[in-house]
Amino acid sequence: MSAPVTTGPERTLEALADQVCAVAARHADHADETAVFPTEALAELRRTGLLALLVEGRHGGLDGGLADMVRVTLRLGRTDMSLAMIFAMHCQQVWAIARHAGPDLRERLLPWVAEGRYLASVTTGESTGGHLLTSETGVRRDGDHLMVERFAPVVTGGLHADGFLMTVRAADAESPTAVSLLFADRDQLTVEAAGAWRPMGMRASHSPPLRLSGRIPRAQIIGQDGDFRAIVTRTFGPAAHLGWSAAWLGTATGALARVLAMLRAPGRERTRTSSELLLTRLSRARQRLDVVHALLARTLETVTTADDLSRPPLQLQINALKITAAEECHRAVDDLVDAVGMRHGYLKDSPTGLERALRDLRSASLNYSNDRLHLVDGKLALLDPEVHFV
Amino acid sequence: MDERFTAVLLPFLKFHTDGPLEPESDLRGLGLDSMQAIDLLFAIEDAYGISLPDEAMNDTTFATAGNLWKEVSAVLTGQPGAAAPGTGAA
Repeated sequence: MSAPVTTGPERTLEALADQVCAVAARHADHADETAVFPTEALAELRRTGLLALLVEGRHGGLDGGLADMVRVTLRLGRTDMSLAMIFAMHCQQVWAIARHAGPDLRERLLPWVAEGRYLASVTTGESTGGHLLTSETGVRRDGDHLMVERFAPVVTGGLHADGFLMTVRAADAESPTAVSLLFADRDQLTVEAAGAWRPMGMRASHSPPLRLSGRIPRAQIIGQDGDFRAIVTRTFGPAAHLGWSAAWLGTATGALARVLAMLRAPGRERTRTSSELLLTRLSRARQRLDVVHALLARTLETVTTADDLSRPPLQLQINALKITAAEECHRAVDDLVDAVGMRHGYLKDSPTGLERALRDLRSASLNYSNDRLHLVDGKLALLDPEVHFV
Repeated sequence: MDERFTAVLLPFLKFHTDGPLEPESDLRGLGLDSMQAIDLLFAIEDAYGISLPDEAMNDTTFATAGNLWKEVSAVLTGQPGAAAPGTGAA
């Protein structure tokens, strides 16, 4: 049985992603050890044009879609989950601009992104955590400008970003649910680290708390003022769940591939494959990844073809992808640690890299908390009493 | 929109100040968040003894007072609402 031959743009994208992975692999251990941002890998993302994957060709981008983002993120995740998350979240910002910014802003920003700019997302708040649809950050209106004073406890790659998309409470709005999405160029802001970054995993994502302040033109609001909700439902949420799930699946896939390579290599480890316990554990890990892969492919189709993503059955599927990917990818790697034991599973310097993958994947259920998503899904389930599937 | 409808709706709109509720009143801007949509739905269904169709469960229905009323009155009069037909089972 021969593997399907991939040709054309898909092949090229994977080759570009591999080029980035080669650089990332050289620096990943150091970035993890010291919890620093993978600047070399970001430079390679820039050089390959992948930062402009979702920008149209006429603006200088690679003309890709969400399926391409998923494919590249899966690939990057095999080498480094922090890098895959950085890439996927950047793509999420670009996608939001491409789909929701007014024509003038879009025509200005997309060519700017295509020159190799990296965008960070500022959606967390001091008391709101990762809750997207409330913002405690009021902005003050100053003629055609907004005065922003924003604290965010977690901003992935924030100190390395060329620009930000940030949530702010709509100017002069009483309701904290009237949230706007605002673009700010790095040069328009004062950006200060407001604390250290000392996490268990995802160390290379360098996501310290930030304080951002500046005077931003109102014309840089993406979409309708106060209607970030529409962007979340149609673009931000789906892109996040697809991108994150791809990063997690890629990470667990890389872990499984490295374990299999070790077991297949000529030598002593090969003899262990007669163990029924080992075979069962390999099967279980592979099964978990196949489930996530199938759900990812199905959700990708839903997101790219559905008319109204606000309907409960669709929202439930998009959320199920996130919850399932977070749980199953982490469990698959945990299974693999048991499968190969202390020396190959638990030690930092093992070529299987399970130790880092497991630490990184522990963040998945917390990265927009599964608990919070279950509360939303419980309500959504009640809104679909006949139980429709998509 | 009848009086009973606004009476059921108003407690969910914590940012509504004095003045009448208009069909174009933006429910989210007035404080209805997505987690409360189901509670509002239950309150309306209890008040009128009706059941809104699954097809009406989307962001558009809960966007304005008028959109929500359109779905309620469609059930009350037995007419298809804005969401039906054609958007049926997914």
